[in-house]
Amino acid sequence: MADTKYKRLTGARSKSVLALAVMTRSSLWLGDDHLLAVDSTGWTETYKRFYFRDIQAITVWKTKRRMIWNAILLTPLVLSLTGLMVSVFPARSMGAIIAWSIIASVFIIPCLINNLLGATCRCQLRTAVQIEELPSLCRVRKTRKVMEKIRPLIIEAQGGELPAEVISNWLREFAASTTAAPARTTSHEPPRLTTP
Amino acid sequence: MEGVFNLPEFAPCPSCGAPLQVEVFPSFFRKIAPGKSAEAVMLEGESSCFYHPQKKAVLPCDGCGRFLCALCDCEIKGQHFCPACLEAGKTKGKIKNLDNQRTLYDSIALALTIYPLLIFYFTIVTAPMALFIAIRYWKSPPSIVRRTKARFIAAITLALLEIGGWMTLLIAVFSRHHS
Repeated sequence: MADTKYKRLTGARSKSVLALAVMTRSSLWLGDDHLLAVDSTGWTETYKRFYFRDIQAITVWKTKRRMIWNAILLTPLVLSLTGLMVSVFPARSMGAIIAWSIIASVFIIPCLINNLLGATCRCQLRTAVQIEELPSLCRVRKTRKVMEKIRPLIIEAQGGELPAEVISNWLREFAASTTAAPARTTSHEPPRLTTP
Repeated sequence: MEGVFNLPEFAPCPSCGAPLQVEVFPSFFRKIAPGKSAEAVMLEGESSCFYHPQKKAVLPCDGCGRFLCALCDCEIKGQHFCPACLEAGKTKGKIKNLDNQRTLYDSIALALTIYPLLIFYFTIVTAPMALFIAIRYWKSPPSIVRRTKARFIAAITLALLEIGGWMTLLIAVFSRHHS
């Protein structure tokens, strides 16, 4: 069986802040007919394949992680810049200026990177049998770029675009079923297309 | 709810109000096909499945050539395998699409040459270990997504340099001691 050549879609990213300690990093790769999610510990790699024909939905929602990191980084940054200003303007020793510059750069660089990468998000991929988090898609801009690449491939693999009326019909039925019988759990099933 | 699916921009979630974008694809609405059922052998002398002699064979296994019924046919990227070949292919790593984990021996060997440099004395043990791993697992399947032998080569080079360094040091110490 011929080997699949993979193209990198995203860089490796820690699965969570705690995962940084054990170096588990996640990345996303594009295969001929599937997406490959790679979780790497540095010594081992585990793979999950999501075939284009099986992908039902991709959900992206904005998070406040960028704001949180800004808040964490800005406090020491402001303090170190204040220290730098105090050292520069009364023209104290060169050593103090260099020391404050180094301390400020420790916070200013991650702060700049955090803001240049843009808004943060979470991304989930849904198939018929699973809902999988994609930790490497954590920035809106990057996620959109990846979506632009994979959307036509998924649509092609699933035999063409989804007609808008199918979605609106389903939403109407879903809304009707939830208002009519809120206790029934089977009413959440998507309707089935009658065409083969 | 109307304005959440397949929109170019984020829209507030109808439930919690969080900015949300949902892209749905045709398979979300597609009916799940019922599982195949094997047909029983009707005529005397008709080809039957190797695993279910009472069931009609529909195709041969691409791995071993045994006849298979519809129930035993496992299709992967256009190839048809019997359950035994599928299991063998998974365990031996012959069917790439079933690989779900790999050990990165090249990374292990390289780490054994680099990290112990922080406390140099450890390299007397770790350099030969790295060299052994690099040679022993040279032909082992690499990462699915990263295929070069660069890490193995770097690990062997560094390990040889470290071993060479230790040998030079020991020879120098012994020669000074004897003289």
